[in-house]
Amino acid sequence: MNDSTLLAGRGRRLFATLIDLVITPVVGVAIMLVTGILESAEAYASTEQTITRLLLLAMSSYLVVNGWLLFSRSQSLGKSLLGIMIVDNNSGEPASFWKLILLRLWALPLIYLSVIPFALIIPVLDQAFIFGKSRRCLHDYLCSTKVVKRP
Amino acid sequence: MLHTSTLLPALIKLVAWTALSSLVASTSAYANCENTDIKPGLQQLFSKSWGTEYSGERFQSSANTSINADNASTLSLKWAYGLSTDQPRSYPLVTEDTLFIGDGGRGLVALDKETGCVRWENNSIKDISTSIISEQVDGRTLLIFSGRRSGVHAVDASTGDNVWSSVPKVHPVPLFSGSPLAYKDTIFVPISSLEIGLSANPFYGCCTTSGGMAALDVRTGELLWYRPTIEKAGSVITGKHYLFVEKRGPSGAPVWGAPMLDTQRDLLFFGSGQNYSLPASLTSDAIFAVHTKTGEIAWVKQFTADDTFNMACTISIDHPNCPSTMGPDVDFGAPPLLTQRLSGQDILIAGQKSGDVYGINPNTGQTIWSTRFGRGGPLGGVHWGIAANPELGLAFIPISDIPAFPSDVPQAPGLYAIDVKDGSLRWSVEREASCQERSCWTGLSAAITAGPNIVVAGAMDGILEIYRADNGEKLWSYNTKTEYDAVNGLPTKGGTLDAHGPMLAGNLLIVSSGYGSFQQEAGNALLVFSTAQEQTP
Repeated sequence: MNDSTLLAGRGRRLFATLIDLVITPVVGVAIMLVTGILESAEAYASTEQTITRLLLLAMSSYLVVNGWLLFSRSQSLGKSLLGIMIVDNNSGEPASFWKLILLRLWALPLIYLSVIPFALIIPVLDQAFIFGKSRRCLHDYLCSTKVVKRP
Repeated sequence: MLHTSTLLPALIKLVAWTALSSLVASTSAYANCENTDIKPGLQQLFSKSWGTEYSGERFQSSANTSINADNASTLSLKWAYGLSTDQPRSYPLVTEDTLFIGDGGRGLVALDKETGCVRWENNSIKDISTSIISEQVDGRTLLIFSGRRSGVHAVDASTGDNVWSSVPKVHPVPLFSGSPLAYKDTIFVPISSLEIGLSANPFYGCCTTSGGMAALDVRTGELLWYRPTIEKAGSVITGKHYLFVEKRGPSGAPVWGAPMLDTQRDLLFFGSGQNYSLPASLTSDAIFAVHTKTGEIAWVKQFTADDTFNMACTISIDHPNCPSTMGPDVDFGAPPLLTQRLSGQDILIAGQKSGDVYGINPNTGQTIWSTRFGRGGPLGGVHWGIAANPELGLAFIPISDIPAFPSDVPQAPGLYAIDVKDGSLRWSVEREASCQERSCWTGLSAAITAGPNIVVAGAMDGILEIYRADNGEKLWSYNTKTEYDAVNGLPTKGGTLDAHGPMLAGNLLIVSSGYGSFQQEAGNALLVFSTAQEQTP
């Protein structure tokens, strides 16, 4: 079996990402309401303060939705539903948890930057790499990971 | 299929093109004076505050302007400058040879008064939203102004170098919309709040902050005292929505108009806005008199009770942050002014967005007389500023009456001259509609200014006019809503006349045209007019 047959299809990756993009904010809103992280004037005291809180909210939402799945099965919720998983690019083993959290975790929130005109280039650049021969996004290259069909 | 080998060069080209475009755009706006080593002259300053004098009358006497009822008809455009914003919100300071003004994203610029070329520019503060005022500190002249969110700034008038910047920590989200006033080593800074807009977010727990007046040390920008308009803002939880989001109050009563100063009584007068959230306070839509040394309240008089309104209500009155008992939003944006009756007695005059105008005893806050023009509403009635001519004993009241809330009261946009003694109407000017669109509404929202037997008023339809102060005869008119060959080469056009309005300084009449807000016509023209036969007062 050659490597390209193991690689997850672009369509599955796209749908998995779309599922994560929809589910994560829904959970994020719930976290925002319970914690009040964006409810008070202090959250808007400076642009840095607002962005920091938004990032914290995004990260915590992602972890609540995907944390256990990433730790135990190297999958996000979307990837789990679509039967694909993240593995180390060299060994083909499930990617280490620290890599998924510290390096790869940023990929999803980056997509939300698409709404900011000048920041749009970052998620576009990241996602555009999927059209390469090895079907790896830029964040896959940075984390030395790839996404494959779950055996 | 698109591969990385073809994608990367394309992306590099895109980034390079964006950078090049930005560079071209920024350099084309430069028009430096031939000799930038010549420092701005600072011997003759044509205004002390947003209100011209400390008293806030916005009256330029014949000692400070040569433009009058006899020569106003000869005014013509001297030069136009293209501002780097389509919503100019800065009011200039003029000296014998220089005009200082906030130029949108470009920062603060010092323009040659004769030609409009740039003597110096300070690019560090890009949100200047107020008048530029000055104060002498240790032998040098400081320019003082506020940035909408960046706080209060002091810049050396000779060089344009930053001296200090200060964001008074009076609450988490201060807005600096109102022009500061400097007097005897103290700067008085009006404080508003970003919560007026944050309230539109349904997940925001509206609201906990109060407007107020801050006093800063002119040497350092250090906070000396702060007078909130509401004590214990946000201390009452009035309900919850979405299970968790707490509604709080009282809040609001922002100060977004300039203060004015009574140097005899050592009192600072200013107006407050509406409450943002329930419960309503007794200090919203009020005139305050506070002691200049301590900020202690001498008196405060509320003119409209239970006026609670925020931007959530503009989305829907069912918005969770729109107060259940929504008010008319008729704050005092126009600063009160102190003038004299012809008998010599002082009187404080205040105009409200409701269209009401009050004559007030400056010692007690007691209302001496009141009158009303037009319908009023969230954008006036009286919106940005009134003026007075102490030589004639008249006050001039611009009325906007731009359609906002439904009302049975007829609209009456125009200019009204009243006797300061009793508020009686002396003359009025009803303006003719040039078209029906909102962008050319005939009302007067911008502050007006007065001079030797003249009143200068800019209308929302872009037409700048001068009237005789004693009888309302129209002396001169100029449609600013056109394109200009600007001295700095930027594409430049006029639009709605709004905000700080026109200024008289020496032989010049100065106005910024364009105001891309509230569905009005944007523009970026700084226009400088002079009379045919220029005279120096």
